[in-house]
Amino acid sequence: MRSWRDIVFTAGFFFFPAVFMLFILMLIITDVFYIDRKAVLTVLGSTFIRHALWMSIWTSFTATLLALIFAVPTGYALSRFRFPGCLLADTIVDLPIVFPPLVIGLTLLVFFSQTAPGRWVQQGLGIEFVFQPKGIVLCQFVAAASFSIRSAKTAFDEVDRRHESVALTLGCTRWGSFRRVSLPLARNGIIAGAILTWARAFGLFGPLLIFVGSFRGRTEVLSTTIFLEQSVGNLEVALAVGLLLIFMALIALTVIRVVGRSATVKL
Amino acid sequence: MIRTDEISFHIGTFQLQGLSIEIADGQYFVLLGPPGSGKTIFLECLCGLKRVDLGRVYIDGRDVTDLEPRARDIGYVPQDYALFPHLSVERNIAFGLCVHGYQRKKAITRVTEMADLLGIGRLLSRRIDGLSGGERQRVALARALVLQPKVLLLDEPVCALDEVTRQEICAQLFRIQRRFGLTTIHVSHNLEEAFSVADRAAILHRGVLQQVGTLDELLRKPNSEFVARFMRCENIFSGQATGQSCATSDTRVKVGDIQLRIPGQHRGTLKFIVRPEDVLILPGGQHYSRSENRFDAKIVCSRDCGGYVRVELDGPLNLVAHMTRAAFAELRSNGNECLNVILRPNNIHVIGK
Repeated sequence: MRSWRDIVFTAGFFFFPAVFMLFILMLIITDVFYIDRKAVLTVLGSTFIRHALWMSIWTSFTATLLALIFAVPTGYALSRFRFPGCLLADTIVDLPIVFPPLVIGLTLLVFFSQTAPGRWVQQGLGIEFVFQPKGIVLCQFVAAASFSIRSAKTAFDEVDRRHESVALTLGCTRWGSFRRVSLPLARNGIIAGAILTWARAFGLFGPLLIFVGSFRGRTEVLSTTIFLEQSVGNLEVALAVGLLLIFMALIALTVIRVVGRSATVKL
Repeated sequence: MIRTDEISFHIGTFQLQGLSIEIADGQYFVLLGPPGSGKTIFLECLCGLKRVDLGRVYIDGRDVTDLEPRARDIGYVPQDYALFPHLSVERNIAFGLCVHGYQRKKAITRVTEMADLLGIGRLLSRRIDGLSGGERQRVALARALVLQPKVLLLDEPVCALDEVTRQEICAQLFRIQRRFGLTTIHVSHNLEEAFSVADRAAILHRGVLQQVGTLDELLRKPNSEFVARFMRCENIFSGQATGQSCATSDTRVKVGDIQLRIPGQHRGTLKFIVRPEDVLILPGGQHYSRSENRFDAKIVCSRDCGGYVRVELDGPLNLVAHMTRAAFAELRSNGNECLNVILRPNNIHVIGK
């Protein structure tokens, strides 16, 4: 039989998550009851909002994919190699997390419109970011990639190097040992980083407004739609878009978790 | 055959200093040493996981110093086994075969054979998490052996196991080593482990090889006080040579108030050891008074250690002796407090000045 101390201990640890989840659910329920049928129909029927939804989805997933492409090698390098300036590199990785979001937008805008390298990319290479959909991806990448890199580094730190050593003696090259051993073992941490990155990218608002603006049917994403709708007084529509954003996030986070867990890396 | 030629390696302030060892084909070699002596680093240098600063490593006559670990034809079982937790037992064992591009069917056959040989056939579908220490050890061994390496390197392979499993696994390791004729290096800090498997052994201390030989040589003829203590010899004494006998090639040595006859020609101050099991204790009485290297002593403390009784003696030399339980019981039944202690000259070994 469980003692009252055990019960208090367990109850104590259930109390805080219960309060937190209840509060979040109450906020969502408040939104659900605040909006009306007309607002829902407006959201579902609007071509611009459908475009913003699609824009939010593809840009956030592309930014997450890009972040992962950078995060896995960067995380591994920071975890495994000691090189001059590695402490500085480790700090720089975290900088975008502490940047105020607006600063990211402003910095990108100044870089691509006022500096020679930025103008060369835009005009010389013809890859335009400012006020362009590509700029959304770049902005989301800059704001969110640090989460992936940090998670990947932590995940690789937790992989015992002896696993890699054994793989080397069993015939693997360094790449083979990374692919067959380190990467699968760090998978959960990398997925957790990807989830954080995607969540940050999907809900990003401030820097986007500065760097790419919010042009209907062109650079509008769901987060900027909410801003546009509430700025013209359509509070119900803004909240309905907000609920759509939450619903999409719920689906995406679940899918990422399920796919991540069932993914098997074949030998 | 494994041969290392003056290999050196440093990491931080620690340094392996010019290690030269030769291990014959099919020999079971145990590398002993206290924790932090550099045993694991030495193995990693042999594996190629650490690049030596100086010296050469030869396996089967081939210079492998600059080769990658995968090209050295070695099986390596690290401490704690480092089994891949994301793979099943079967896939752990098959790992090397898959890397080498074996066909699935052939790989499964090899894995099954190896698992049956090690008695882990029933575990093939299991995950690593739920395995016991002994099962993990066998899986790690199977994973290393399935590629049929020329050399097997075992880093403290049984240190995390309980006594019974440790003995079982050691016996199995020895059987398998003999069956495959594998040249094996087994790293350990445990003497019992070494005695259960070793053909030859070496003792490493602070990155320096202290002595190489059979276990009997290490036990009875240690070349330093460190080796003697490591081999659990507590009777280490200093004495002064007082004279020599040319006829018998012996030296008379004064130790405290007594004179001992020690084999060999020695001068000045010397250190010598007597193994605790070589100390002869007999009931007190006059009939031993003419025996050489004899003196009186009393038992001050005794402890039953299971297989033997450890006895501490108070006399001109404060000796520790190991006696069989029967011998100790008989000694006690005589009720004589004053005992005769005899140190046979051929049981005394000089270890240096």
